[in-house]
Amino acid sequence: MSNQLKTALDALYAAGPGPAATARAQQRLRRALAAQASTAAPAHASAEVWYDVLARSAIGPVFVGVTARGLRAVRFGLSERQFVEALRRETHARPVRSAARAGAAARQMGEYLAGRRTAFDLPVDLSAMTDFQQQVLQAACRIPRGQVLTYSELARQIGRPKAARAVGQALGSNPVPIVVPCHRVLAADGSLRGYSGGGGIATKERLLRLEGWQKAVGSRQ
Amino acid sequence: MKGTAIVPIQRRRAAAAVAAARPHPDFEALVAAHSAAIFAYLWRLLRDTADAEDCLQDAFLRAYRAYGRLDGHPSPQAWLYRIATNVARTRLKQRAREAVRTAALDPELVAAGPGPAEQVSQKLERAAVAAAVDALPHQQRAALILRQYQGLPYDEIALILECSPAAARANVYQALKKLRLEVGGQRSEVGR
Repeated sequence: MSNQLKTALDALYAAGPGPAATARAQQRLRRALAAQASTAAPAHASAEVWYDVLARSAIGPVFVGVTARGLRAVRFGLSERQFVEALRRETHARPVRSAARAGAAARQMGEYLAGRRTAFDLPVDLSAMTDFQQQVLQAACRIPRGQVLTYSELARQIGRPKAARAVGQALGSNPVPIVVPCHRVLAADGSLRGYSGGGGIATKERLLRLEGWQKAVGSRQ
Repeated sequence: MKGTAIVPIQRRRAAAAVAAARPHPDFEALVAAHSAAIFAYLWRLLRDTADAEDCLQDAFLRAYRAYGRLDGHPSPQAWLYRIATNVARTRLKQRAREAVRTAALDPELVAAGPGPAEQVSQKLERAAVAAAVDALPHQQRAALILRQYQGLPYDEIALILECSPAAARANVYQALKKLRLEVGGQRSEVGR
């Protein structure tokens, strides 16, 4: 467009409403939404949680917890009692064992760990995570099977290049390991660094090998 | 999810090109991610801070109520922008029916640019352009702002305006064409 037109339009529009007006509008919006949420039926509250167990796998028994919204928890390397207690604490609901509700997740996990399935076909409930954690975990979902990213690369991908450490922490908070593949994120020197999903680094390596990742070729394919 | 790396599709049912699970976006996450940009958009369409605040609330409350139908939508951002565009259209129609607005612009909207020493001709020109934008069909006005000031790509604008990317492009082109006439016209008048 012509310079003259651009100048005139920019004078009207380029600056935008400004940070003060924006902050005010957002505050009003939050209050309005809170008022709406408290009067309406709780649209997103997780009233119930169900669980099931994959009794045997290459990494031992794997527990899966599920809400109406989707897969809420994956844990292994602990007892059923410990898992139920942890799930109760996290969701403030009384976990009920239900093959009808959580069996599909357990089945898919079994298939995946046995190498008979390459991708999960499950909705995942990350609603208890912060915005940043969800951003990080969703970015981890985009790492293709058999490949890896470094913490820094993932940080760059979500537009937070200096947040590699926070990325590591967010991955550590992953409530659904294996399904959301936080194990596909490594340190810059190619070392595995850590894994909080149960079983430590040995499990991380096992999962990567299962997925066909080749360590010798370097940290990126 | 937009921007996903393309992976070999192992199963026919994997509609989204994501290797693993599909996380559910929280509604609060949508608000945090988009409310500032949507507010700026409404502000540009309405050129009035109070109206923009009202419409921001209206748009997000509608979105909250319709949230259950969002699943599978290719772009939550476009979905929000679409709702905002429609809310703004209604408000602008309502305004047009009310008492004729004076030619004075909302003082908050005048750019911080030249200041008191500003040329009269520049002021006139801006008023003329503002009036010309007001006179555009809503679709063209929205397309122009989405493209030039919200910085969105045409395929996103297409989702927002519910038209093809080619039509979105045409809307921007038509808007600029009409505005260019107005700016050119003003200039010749001042030059006289």
